[in-house]
Amino acid sequence: MRNKRNFLFIGLALCFAVIFGMTSTVMAADTIRIGVASPFTGDLASYGDNIKAGVNLKLKEINDAGGINGKKVELVWGDDLCAPKEAGTVGAKFAADKSIVAVVGHLCSSATLAAMPIYVRAGMPTISPTSTNPTIGDVGKGWFFRNCYTDDYQGKYLAKEVVPKLLGKKKVAIFYENNDYAIGLKDSFVAGAKEAGIEVTGVEAYVAKTTDFTPQLTKLLTAKPEAIFLCGYHPEGALIAGQARKLGFNGPLFGADGIDNVDYIKIGGKATDNTYLTVPFLAQSAGPAGQAFAKSFKESAGRDVDWMSANAYDCLGILAQVIAKTGPDRKKIRDGLAALNSEATGYKGVTGLTYFDEKGNCAKPAFVKMVKDGKFVPAE
Amino acid sequence: MFLQQLVNGLIIGGIYAMIAVGYTMIYGVVQLINFAHGEIYMLGAFFAVTFISVLGLPFYAAFILSMACCAICGMLLDVVAYRPLRNSPRLAALITAIGMSIFLQNLAMIIWGSRPKPFPHGTVPAYFDNTAVTFGGVNLSWFHLFIFGLTLVMMIGLNLIIKKTRWGKAMRAVAQNKTMAALTGINVNRVITYTFALAGALGGAAGVMVGAYYNSLYPTMGYVAGVKAFAAAVLGGIGSVPGAMLGGVLLGVAEALGAGYLSSLYRDGISYAVMIIVIILIPAGLFGKLIKETKKSM
Repeated sequence: MRNKRNFLFIGLALCFAVIFGMTSTVMAADTIRIGVASPFTGDLASYGDNIKAGVNLKLKEINDAGGINGKKVELVWGDDLCAPKEAGTVGAKFAADKSIVAVVGHLCSSATLAAMPIYVRAGMPTISPTSTNPTIGDVGKGWFFRNCYTDDYQGKYLAKEVVPKLLGKKKVAIFYENNDYAIGLKDSFVAGAKEAGIEVTGVEAYVAKTTDFTPQLTKLLTAKPEAIFLCGYHPEGALIAGQARKLGFNGPLFGADGIDNVDYIKIGGKATDNTYLTVPFLAQSAGPAGQAFAKSFKESAGRDVDWMSANAYDCLGILAQVIAKTGPDRKKIRDGLAALNSEATGYKGVTGLTYFDEKGNCAKPAFVKMVKDGKFVPAE
Repeated sequence: MFLQQLVNGLIIGGIYAMIAVGYTMIYGVVQLINFAHGEIYMLGAFFAVTFISVLGLPFYAAFILSMACCAICGMLLDVVAYRPLRNSPRLAALITAIGMSIFLQNLAMIIWGSRPKPFPHGTVPAYFDNTAVTFGGVNLSWFHLFIFGLTLVMMIGLNLIIKKTRWGKAMRAVAQNKTMAALTGINVNRVITYTFALAGALGGAAGVMVGAYYNSLYPTMGYVAGVKAFAAAVLGGIGSVPGAMLGGVLLGVAEALGAGYLSSLYRDGISYAVMIIVIILIPAGLFGKLIKETKKSM
C-alpha cells in the first residue's frame, strides 16, 4: 500500500523535476536559486512554517536591497515531510537542477542524513539550520554545514547544567523516540549524566505517531524518577506530558530543541507546565541584533520568533554573504563556507557568531526556557 | 505495575475492539476489507471537535451527532465507492478501499490542516479526569470507566441487533448467501449499506473517545489504528463479531504487557507477533470458521 503511494510520489517528483529543469534554464541567467528543504506538510509542518517564515524575511531583505551583486535571489521549496525517503526524493530533485546553487536544510536529522550522500555526489553545498545529530558532519564529507549546536553538546548540557543545577534533581527517566535525532541526544545525555553523577532510572523508547504512551510511562514511573526527559519532538512530547500527569507524575519535565513549539503547549495544555527546554536561540537573551530581528519577525510573521526561524534567517544570510564573494557556483560556495573557520572570519548574525570546524559544525551556546502558566518564558 | 499495565491494555484493547468490529461486520456481509474504515474513525474525532468548536455543542451531543455523521459517511462510502463494484472481482473493490482511505486522509488534511489538533480546552466534561475507583494502587478515572462502559454497552447492543432483530437476521442471511437472501425478498443492497452505517457509527464513537482521551487529532491517525484493528479482526477470525471484540482486547493487552515487560521499542512488533502466532496455530482465527476455497460467484 505504501509502495503504491511511493510510486505516485516518485512519478510526480520526476514530472516536476522535468518541468522545473526546463523553466530553470531560462531563468538561471538573472536569478540565484537556493533550495529550502523542510517538512512543509505532515505532522511536523509547523516546523516547516518556522523555516519558511525565517528565510522569507531574509529573502525580502536581500531582494529589497537589490539582491546579491544585482541578481535577485529565488527560493525553491522542497517538502521532505521529515521522512528519510521523501528527503531522498527532494535531494535528488535539487541535485539534478543545475540552477540551484545551494540548499538550506534539511530540518530533521534523519532527513539530512538521508539526503546528504546525494548532495555529496552532486557537489551541493548544504547548510542546515536545525539538524543537530552529531554524525551528519562525517556523512557530509565537507559539503555539510550547520549553524546550530550538535546533540553531543546539547545532551551533555542538559545532563550537566540543566538537570543538577536548574532543576536540582538527581534521578531521571529517559523516554526517547526511535530516530536519529533522539537516539543521538539520548546517548550524549547518558554520557553526560555519568560524568555529572545523575542516576538514569529507566530508558524507554516509542515510535513516532504513537498516541498511547501509558505502558512505557507506567514502567518508567515504577522506578520513581524525579524528572522525565522528553527526548523527541513536540507532537508526541505533548501527549507524553499529559499522560504522565494522568499517571500521577508531578515532577519537572525537560527536553531539547525538538519540543520547542507553541503547539506543545496548545496540545498538552496544563500538563506542560514545568517543562524545561534547551534552545539555540532565545529572543529575550539575544543581543541587540537579535532583539531587532525578533521585532521585525513579529511584524512580518505575526507571531513571536522561535529559534528555528532565527537560525533559518541566518542560514540564508550566510549563503548570501558567501555568494556575494564567490559568485553562484556550487564548488566555490562550499569553499567560501569552509573559509568561515575562525572567530575573525565568522558570520555575525542574529543568533550570534557562526563559524565552522572542518566537519561543518559550529560552537554555539544553549539557552534554557521553560513553560510557566501556559507560556514559554526564559528559565530562571 | 501489572494491574496498571492490564488497565492500560484493556483501554487500548477496547478501542481496537470497537474499530475491529467494523472491519469484521463489513467483511461478513460483502467479503471486503474496508481499508477506509480507519479514516471513518479519524473523521469521527474531527467531526466531534468541529461540532464543539464551531457549533458550540456540549460534549455528549457532539458525540452522538458525530456517530450519526460517521454512519452517513459509512453509507456514502458504500453507495459511492463499493456498490458500483459489487459484482466485479474482489481485488477491484479492495483497491478502491485503499483509494478511499488515501482520499479521505487528504480531504481531512485540506479541511482541518495537517497540524495535530487538541480537543477544544475545557469541553470534555471536567469530572472525567477525577479518580473514580482505586484498587491495588491503580487509579481509574471516570474517563476510563466511560470507555469501558461504552465499549461494553455497544458490544452488547450490537450482539442484540445481530441476534434478535429482523434486520440482524437479514444481515446474517446476506452474510451466508446473497442470492438466497435476495430470493427470500431481502433487499441485499440496503442491508449492506445499513451494515456500513452501523460500522461507521461504531468507528466514529471510537474516534471521538480516542480524540478526547489522548487529546490529539491528526488526519493520519486512522492509518495506524486501522491497521491494528484489522489485525485484531484477523486474530479473532475475520467475519466473527465476538472474535473481533476478543481480538481487540487481546491485542491491546499484549501490546501493553509487551511494552511493559519486554521491550518498548518492539511494542507494535509484539502485538503483531501475537497475531501471527495465533494465525499459525489456528488459521481461521479464534472464532472464525474455516471455509474451503470454492469457485463461487467471483
